[in-house]
Amino acid sequence: MNAAAPSTSLKWRYFRQGLFFGVVRLSAFLITATLLLILAYIFMNGFRAISWDFLTLPPTDAMTRGGIMPAIVGTLYLTVGAIAVALPLGVASAIYLTEYARQGLAIRILRIGVNCLAGVPSVVFGLFGLGLFVVFLKFGSSILAGALTLGILILPTIIGASEEALKAVPQTFREASLALGVSKWRTISRIVLPNALPGILTGSILGIGRAAGETAPIMFTAATFFTAALPRSVFDEVMALPYHIYVLATAGTQIDETRPLQYGTVLVLVALVLGIDLVAILIRSVMRKKKRW
Amino acid sequence: MEKDMIVRAENVDFYYGSFQALTDVTMAFEKNRVTALIGPSGCGKSTLLRLLNRMNDLIDGARVEGEILFEGRNIYAPEVDPVEIRRRIGMVFQKPNPFPKSIFNNITFAPRLSGVHRKSDLEALVEESLRQAVLWDEVKDILDRSAMTLSGGQQQRLCIARALAMKPDIILMDEPTSALDPISTARIEELIDKLKQRYTIIIVTHNMQQAARVSEYTGFFYIGKLIEFGPTEKIFTNPSVKQTEDYITGRFG
Ligand SMILES: Nc1ncnc2c1ncn2[C@@H]1O[C@H](COP(=O)(O)OP(=O)(O)O)[C@@H](O)[C@H]1O
Ligand SMILES: [Mg+2]
Repeated sequence: MNAAAPSTSLKWRYFRQGLFFGVVRLSAFLITATLLLILAYIFMNGFRAISWDFLTLPPTDAMTRGGIMPAIVGTLYLTVGAIAVALPLGVASAIYLTEYARQGLAIRILRIGVNCLAGVPSVVFGLFGLGLFVVFLKFGSSILAGALTLGILILPTIIGASEEALKAVPQTFREASLALGVSKWRTISRIVLPNALPGILTGSILGIGRAAGETAPIMFTAATFFTAALPRSVFDEVMALPYHIYVLATAGTQIDETRPLQYGTVLVLVALVLGIDLVAILIRSVMRKKKRW
Repeated sequence: MEKDMIVRAENVDFYYGSFQALTDVTMAFEKNRVTALIGPSGCGKSTLLRLLNRMNDLIDGARVEGEILFEGRNIYAPEVDPVEIRRRIGMVFQKPNPFPKSIFNNITFAPRLSGVHRKSDLEALVEESLRQAVLWDEVKDILDRSAMTLSGGQQQRLCIARALAMKPDIILMDEPTSALDPISTARIEELIDKLKQRYTIIIVTHNMQQAARVSEYTGFFYIGKLIEFGPTEKIFTNPSVKQTEDYITGRFG
């Protein structure tokens, strides 16, 4: 045994470790940098279009001037509607899957089904919504049909997030409550669910972003090319930001001239999604402060 | 004089799926006494304890045969509501498990759901339960604080107070001091001694001295069978079965 051998192997180990950390750090940096780059690019191109009028007026002059107010309102309605559909339904499904169902073949198949649903292209949801809500149930192209379609689209995300959050609640809480003679349902609604809620919201943030940003599912079910009026009921069609971007960028007569408007709209959409995320994150952190175990 | 037996297990077999955890257990628990269940780990003590308030219902594929009679009524009869049983037979677990709520709300959580709503009633209940659990003096000024900030021993006494607030007849304790330091353990043992005036207590313990100190009756289990059951004094000084003697003298673990 010579003395040099262990020390070179140690050096080699340090080198390998350094290399590994370097690669990991680099990937983290690249991901963050890409995100920042995209955001910066959108901001640089879009911020000049943003003005009070842009946010508060409908489009004018064949959509080459004016604002995007109806699209902002439409997207807000659709997103909030989708959450209102998917959150209760998703949480209820997750409660059934984790707390009630006997874990067996049938439940495994159901879970696989939910996961497959998450992988279905969004245009398929659009066609499904068109067939079921717009045509068969005669809702027409409307906020209702669009919100339901988007709701189904984000359902798997919400179910997955809720299941994880429910499973993370310690089993000892359930036992403690049941042993006090509290019924199973009340144990779930008063102990398990409140403790799972921060986790459910975290996971649902992803769904919220998706609901606000998708074009295909609302194209046939809710979005209209142009309307200056604001919706008066859930059976009205609306403009929506993603669809408006699509229209401006592909279907207008003056695509190049409206570029600044397109970037402005994209900027508003991104800001809207981040804003909704921020609200969810705030709610979550307030709830987390109250619950600690 | 006839003794007042509040719970009887009659020829109880218990299975986790195909694994038989209890075999033909027959024993009776006297009212307002402390009965200790001892035996090596895995012998079925917790299983029996959880059978007494139907906590094993939660386990998929579990099956019980025989009868468990509480005040003469089989608690496994189809018309019996397990929620009702658990209200009358409370439980304290091995690891203190307070809810992530305030001390006050830990105690009032279950009573509120069973119909106690008036603020003064709830406050009285909290004080009474905490006094019984000998915790009142330590926490009376911090009732709004999260139960999670208490020490382990305090948390366990809070769990006892929480069980007492439901005014049960029986309290089941599954190794209630195994996660606690010696001082907290001593306090809980004193507490058990006080509580038996009003409650029937059935306690699982792996600590033989504890069984000898707190209980009037002791049952010794080995691999799912009740080997010997009788007055604690007799079990610890003059056991009739060789296996019991070997266990309490530490000849096997
Ligand atoms: N949920 C369960 N599923 C399957 N087997 C179990 C379960 N709980 C306990 N057992 C088994 O039953 C036997 C008795 O367990 P338990 O009653 O917890 O023993 P003790 O409390 O005396 O240590 C052990 O062999 C244990 O492995
Ligand atoms: Mg045990």
